[in-house]
Amino acid sequence: MKSVQFSVASRLEGAAAIIYPKGYLNNLSGESLVIECGVYIGKGITKIVVNFSETDLINSIGISMLLQIMEDLRNINGTICCTNMSKFLSDTFEMLGLMQHMLVFPVENDALEYLKTRKS
Amino acid sequence: MSTKLEKAMYNISALADLGQAITSEDAFHEKIQSVLYVITGTFLANKGAILFYDKSTQSLNTLTQKGFAQDDLDHLNPEELISLGRNKSCLIGDAPVMAVAGAEILAPIWVGDEFIGALLLGGWLTAGPLASEDLELLNVIANQIAIALNNHSLFMDLADKLEDNRRLYEEMRHIYHGTLQAFAAAIDAKDAYTKNHSHRVAKYSVAIARELGWNEHEIEGMYVAGYLHDVGKLAISNTLLNKVTPFTPEERTEIRKHSTLSRNITTKIKFPWKNVEDIVWHHHERLDGRGYPDALAEDSLSDGVRILTLADSFDAMTSQRPYREKMDVQSAIGELRKNLESQFDNKIMLVFCKVLAKEINGELPEPDILPHLDRNSDLSVISDLLEGIISELSAR
Ligand SMILES: [Fe+2]
Ligand SMILES: [Fe+2]
Repeated sequence: MKSVQFSVASRLEGAAAIIYPKGYLNNLSGESLVIECGVYIGKGITKIVVNFSETDLINSIGISMLLQIMEDLRNINGTICCTNMSKFLSDTFEMLGLMQHMLVFPVENDALEYLKTRKS
Repeated sequence: MSTKLEKAMYNISALADLGQAITSEDAFHEKIQSVLYVITGTFLANKGAILFYDKSTQSLNTLTQKGFAQDDLDHLNPEELISLGRNKSCLIGDAPVMAVAGAEILAPIWVGDEFIGALLLGGWLTAGPLASEDLELLNVIANQIAIALNNHSLFMDLADKLEDNRRLYEEMRHIYHGTLQAFAAAIDAKDAYTKNHSHRVAKYSVAIARELGWNEHEIEGMYVAGYLHDVGKLAISNTLLNKVTPFTPEERTEIRKHSTLSRNITTKIKFPWKNVEDIVWHHHERLDGRGYPDALAEDSLSDGVRILTLADSFDAMTSQRPYREKMDVQSAIGELRKNLESQFDNKIMLVFCKVLAKEINGELPEPDILPHLDRNSDLSVISDLLEGIISELSAR
């Protein structure tokens, strides 16, 4: 099975970092996602939005990466929002019980609106 | 689908991920790191470590870890780990031996009589207690790591290494199949009358595919499809599956959902075999287009589908069902023959007859079909029947 090489893009919007993973989150290249978030956390950002619109699939390795980000944010009392998730992704997170540990929004803007109105 | 079933599927795919990580072309360190990610992702653990025991220095080396303080890992005493015994994952609980900050589960890794290392996990994100299935899965994983580590420690010359990788792949396949079998057993257990049905259908299908000249990879896909073709039945009520009286039209519609359900389940697993999804999805289609779910016909049906429909029907006829007795082997073959072209494919039937005839004549060292047939069958009658069909179909 050939899949697109995984890559990550990101941007800062106010006090929140928005991360755009792209491709199948299934191998070590997913570490770039953890690193990208780490860079923002290192700069004092505590609100991270992960926009999954370009990532439909995830496997156990990807889940592990996501756990790492959730843990890093938890350690600084930060917030993780996940948006634009495919059904496969949300079903998987639901089944694994991850939904309680993240905020889920249909689209990126909803998450940004929410974070704006919320004091951190 | 029940959460339990979904979790089981997730675990199966995790095993596939693990196999991929271990057999990848990556350098050893990357490999072992992927392995750790698979494990922490499977068990939702935020802490994990894979330790390797160096015999010459009698010390434990951390191959990879996340979440632990390295200092804590360095203070582990290998003697104490060895004394825990082999091949059993354990909850550390309050065992003082393992008072490593935050480790909650330890799986010692052994190869034969040799202590190779240990896997540590901890820091669960979700509070739920680990089920016994989880510990079992962890054992399977620990065995996998054992082989990978063992290969690493030996570092033999290239030829040996290739040989070893082949063995490793075999072993992985073995465990993968073990998990599939556990799954098939769950399906068959639900429906008392179809005990071992999945297993037999898988065997029959493989026999046909091999005789057709498929390569090993394709045959393996056929095998997996055979095992999982009825997996969708897990989502259908027991009462309905085990009903003795004929089905009402509504009940029939309900039962017929199972092939689509099987497909929905198998698509969630990233199988290395391309044909599995198609085969399970369409195993109740017919050449004349009167099958379900899509009433596909002729050209739309792949050879894989044609093999499975024949194997499935043959086993269904030769095993007992709640609403009828089983058929003897020659009558079942007669039924297949009667439905050639409308339901079953001539070419596949010819191959099936050929392989069964070979098995009866003792031409195949490891028969796949014969051992499952009724012991009281009259083999000479069956042989004659097969010969007749073979010459008839060969002449076409
Ligand atoms: Fe079926
Ligand atoms: Fe079946």
